[in-house]
Amino acid sequence: MRFVFIGIALLAWETAARSGLWSPLLFPSLERILRELMLFLSSGESLMQAWVSLYRAFAGFTLAAVAGVAAGILMGRSRFLASLLDPLFSGTYAVPKLALFPIFIFIFGLGSLSKIALVFLECLYPIVIITYHGARDVNRVLLWSAQNLGATRGAILRRIVIPAAAPHIFAGFRVALPVAMIVVVITEMISSTDGLGYLVIYSMSSLKTDRMLAVVVVISLVGLLLDWALVQLRDRLVYWEKLETYYV
Amino acid sequence: MGLARAGIWLALLLVWELAWRWGLPQYILGPLEILKHFFAALGSQELYGHIGASLARSLPGFAVGAVLGIALGLAAGVGRGFDRMLSPVIFLTYPVPKIVMLPVFMLWFGIGDLSKILIIALACFYPVFINAYYGVKATPTILVWSGLNMGAGRWQIFRRVVVPSAAPMIFSGLRVSLALSFIVMFATEMINARSGLGHLIRDAENSLRFDLMYVSLASIAILGYAGDQLLLLGRHRLLAWQGEPA
Repeated sequence: MRFVFIGIALLAWETAARSGLWSPLLFPSLERILRELMLFLSSGESLMQAWVSLYRAFAGFTLAAVAGVAAGILMGRSRFLASLLDPLFSGTYAVPKLALFPIFIFIFGLGSLSKIALVFLECLYPIVIITYHGARDVNRVLLWSAQNLGATRGAILRRIVIPAAAPHIFAGFRVALPVAMIVVVITEMISSTDGLGYLVIYSMSSLKTDRMLAVVVVISLVGLLLDWALVQLRDRLVYWEKLETYYV
Repeated sequence: MGLARAGIWLALLLVWELAWRWGLPQYILGPLEILKHFFAALGSQELYGHIGASLARSLPGFAVGAVLGIALGLAAGVGRGFDRMLSPVIFLTYPVPKIVMLPVFMLWFGIGDLSKILIIALACFYPVFINAYYGVKATPTILVWSGLNMGAGRWQIFRRVVVPSAAPMIFSGLRVSLALSFIVMFATEMINARSGLGHLIRDAENSLRFDLMYVSLASIAILGYAGDQLLLLGRHRLLAWQGEPA
């Protein structure tokens, strides 16, 4: 029952592909896509391209996670820093950072670095803003009790602020991780000679639609897998608070 | 707060301007220089053509995605059977970067505006759907019970209780989607287009016209900011009974 829609969609795809109404160049059958997918997964070179994309996404995301959590917690605990940094983040929040990519290419070059920098920038916003709200709204009674019991500032940060903000931090990560994949794929589609986004554009330009769709499937699976892994990690670390989202 | 806000912006611009005068690489312009080029471009016809072309892609895409997202999200939130059929597909495909479908859409719908509008609609659909869905799910049961007790019909409860209760969530979904529509619009135009701001920035990059690059950058930044402010204004008017968003 749950996957009835997906089954119907796949069935419709296969019938449409086999009906002969459209050229297989536009509408390859599932069988051909699956074959290309197997080819992709068995070739070392293709997996290398997937690794390049993953490396870029992870590098940018990790940098943004470290910097974002630090900045968010500092902003949440210091009114001065919040008044300094909050206007910067909320003022440029709705501006598409992707427009900076051509300038990043001039600054960081055509290789991975310009892409990592853009991933970092796009992931930074959700992580900082959500962490900031989490760190700001820590229950005051807990802070007062800790102070009363003689806890140092470091202990309060480690034992109260960070655990209290942890659900928010992970919520920020969960927004940012798909963004990292999106930015990597977009920048690879715009200007690159490697990575999964480049493979999509390259397969399309050589009219290998089945291969292109196979790469699209790989990118989708990577996106799903990363999100699943993050939710697993969250449930281990933030075991005291249940995640109120839909599990498939 | 207002003073700090103005202060940090002024300080940043000042540092930037001074650094530029000190000598930055050719591809980084100072803020005054950018302002000068921007106003010069505002005087010419060309920029308006690109802005118009970009908006003609992002706004219809956003509208289609938002309407479908609200309608299906509310329906899935209310109807249990519909929820069980549709929601697994949506939540399963949610973390997938939708932009990878662009080449597929280009094959099916041509390389013109239609494929771009559809990909923007697809990207905008998800945040709106998910927020509308959770907005409905978070409706306090006691309100629904009170409505039922006072003899309201199903339709009345939906319109007077469920929709207003989901409205703040729907607006935050719309806000995410609007920002997303500009990003995807820009991306599709940078990948393949003959007009629009994304095309302009690529064109300027290839011909090393750094002034045009910054004009395009400033235009998209202003569009993104203005769109967000307009949406917040709409939220403020429609949801006056609600608190301001964070």
